[in-house]
Amino acid sequence: MEDLVLELKKEIIEALNLEDVTPEDIDADAPLFGSGLGLDSIDALELIVLIEKKYGIKLKDPSKSKEVFMSVNIMARFIAENRTK
Amino acid sequence: MIYRIADNIISPLGETTAQNYQAVKDGRSALRRYDHQWDIPEPFTASLFTEAQNEALAIQGLTRFESLAFTSAKNAIEASKIDVSIANVVLILSTTKGNIEQIFENQDDTTIYPGTAAKHIAERLGINTKPITICNACISGVSALVLALRLLDAGLYDYAVVCGADVQNKFTVSGFLSLKAISENECKPFDMERMGLNLGEAAATLVLSRQPIAEAWAIESGAVRNDAFHISSPSKNGDGARMALNAIVRDSDKERLAFINAHGTATMFNDQMESVAIAGAGLGTIPVNAYKGYFGHTLGAAGILETVLSMAATDDHTILATRGFEEIGVSGRVHLSSQNSTTDKCSFVKMISGFGGCNGAILASKTPELKTEENANGNIEVKHRVQISPSTIVVDGKPLALEGTGKSLLTAIYKRYVDDYPKFYKMDPLSRLGFVATELLLKAEGERKDTPSEDRAVILFNRSSSIQADRKYLASIIDPEDYFPSPSVFVYTLPNIVTGEIAMRNLYHGETSFYITDERNDEQIKQTLIASFADKKTKSIVGGWIDYQDDSHFEADIYITELTNK
Repeated sequence: MEDLVLELKKEIIEALNLEDVTPEDIDADAPLFGSGLGLDSIDALELIVLIEKKYGIKLKDPSKSKEVFMSVNIMARFIAENRTK
Repeated sequence: MIYRIADNIISPLGETTAQNYQAVKDGRSALRRYDHQWDIPEPFTASLFTEAQNEALAIQGLTRFESLAFTSAKNAIEASKIDVSIANVVLILSTTKGNIEQIFENQDDTTIYPGTAAKHIAERLGINTKPITICNACISGVSALVLALRLLDAGLYDYAVVCGADVQNKFTVSGFLSLKAISENECKPFDMERMGLNLGEAAATLVLSRQPIAEAWAIESGAVRNDAFHISSPSKNGDGARMALNAIVRDSDKERLAFINAHGTATMFNDQMESVAIAGAGLGTIPVNAYKGYFGHTLGAAGILETVLSMAATDDHTILATRGFEEIGVSGRVHLSSQNSTTDKCSFVKMISGFGGCNGAILASKTPELKTEENANGNIEVKHRVQISPSTIVVDGKPLALEGTGKSLLTAIYKRYVDDYPKFYKMDPLSRLGFVATELLLKAEGERKDTPSEDRAVILFNRSSSIQADRKYLASIIDPEDYFPSPSVFVYTLPNIVTGEIAMRNLYHGETSFYITDERNDEQIKQTLIASFADKKTKSIVGGWIDYQDDSHFEADIYITELTNK
């Protein structure tokens, strides 16, 4: 799980162009949105693409994404349970 | 004030304004559901031309988009009886993505540039002046009418042919799908159960005259304002839309308004925002309708098509129904037109909003009084100027030494002079260029203001549109095995986003406009900027040329200008 959390942090940084952010800067328990990362609604949509592309999980209902993207840890757990690749 | 001579609408519902109006009045729609169209995995509902219609519209030597726009403009010009080859007339083309479907077939970037399409269309029409294309995302059609109003009022031309068009394809549909903006069913504007928009194909044209014409329709006033909130989400308070409405409707006008034709895309956020803006502008008692349930969202055509249709409806003393609307699902107190009803009033407001935070509105009337505006005299004075090329930076005539060339030069400027706005890294190259150039410009101007303002406009021109973002987005959809359309890249395929980024960063609620020409023409830019000061709120403009063809070919030459003797 720890590996997945680190991998996920790196992927989030890359997918969302968080140029000056390192994995250590992201608190895996902190809310992803509304925190210091300054993420917005397009970032949320881009994360939906990320988990489909890398882990083969289709999130049909965008409102469901709010729960999944609560924190990196919650996201990692969701991916571990639902991944198809 | 400018006056209508003729018009045309071509949509899947018909090829004249009369046919389209009758279809809408009868409650007909060309919306239908598509499964696996263009290899797109998700289903969607759209209003598309049939194969037979496309064949009938096709013109040798022109693309599908150009054929459509040309035919609509030609039909309107013929009806106007103006000999455009000798008259002093300008073609204003309004489009969101123009020839973008050529990107799937043609490797030549110039084919995709909207200015190339405008040039082809103007040549075929026999118009000899240089056309201007407005690419202001979804509000382009209304922006084009605002531009026509200014250029004619300024006395630069006697006539304007204002043509808006867009066709749909894998590029546009996948993009709006990636933004989760599209409904797989027919759209339901302002309704409780609205689930998003439908895209549509159409062209619409208005031929307008500077000289007053008795008993004709007139566009009295128009304005564009920015939310300065977000590049793809409308302001929750409807700031920009309310300001645009306030700029064009005086208290004394309210009595004579038959209706407000809203954008009404049927996305959650747009319709909610519009309701708040309309109520906030004190227009909550005036009937509101939306036409997306008949045509879908026709992008660059929408503002013109919906204006022409509103004119036809008012001529028929009719306020059209909002097809798809049943039960109110917005919090702003507005009065939705759910069925066709009669009116004896002769004025309406067309409002519209789009990505980049821009909002537009015009007030049209069946000639209340005949008048020609005073020509906008004066000249513009350049207060500060920034020029950036892949190897040089010049601020107010003085070179600025920084390490780096090409794309890395822009990052170097950011790191040296800004460094606290990480959103920079999310921007496409065109927006990065516009962003750092403006930062240097404002530094030259002095202390940055952090209060919202409505008196500064951002009006930029280029040639290459958003070609870098277009290519990057294409890469995310071209391979069916690796089809993952990127919403954050798609947003930047709207070139006006750079104006939205600048407005957002600096809390500019003034006008934001993005124009495209097939080559840089400083005289045309200057005339357009002078004419843009006709907006009474505008006291200064961040304007000029900003083009990003590729990492070794880009150019910013932008300035803060004020009108002298205004």
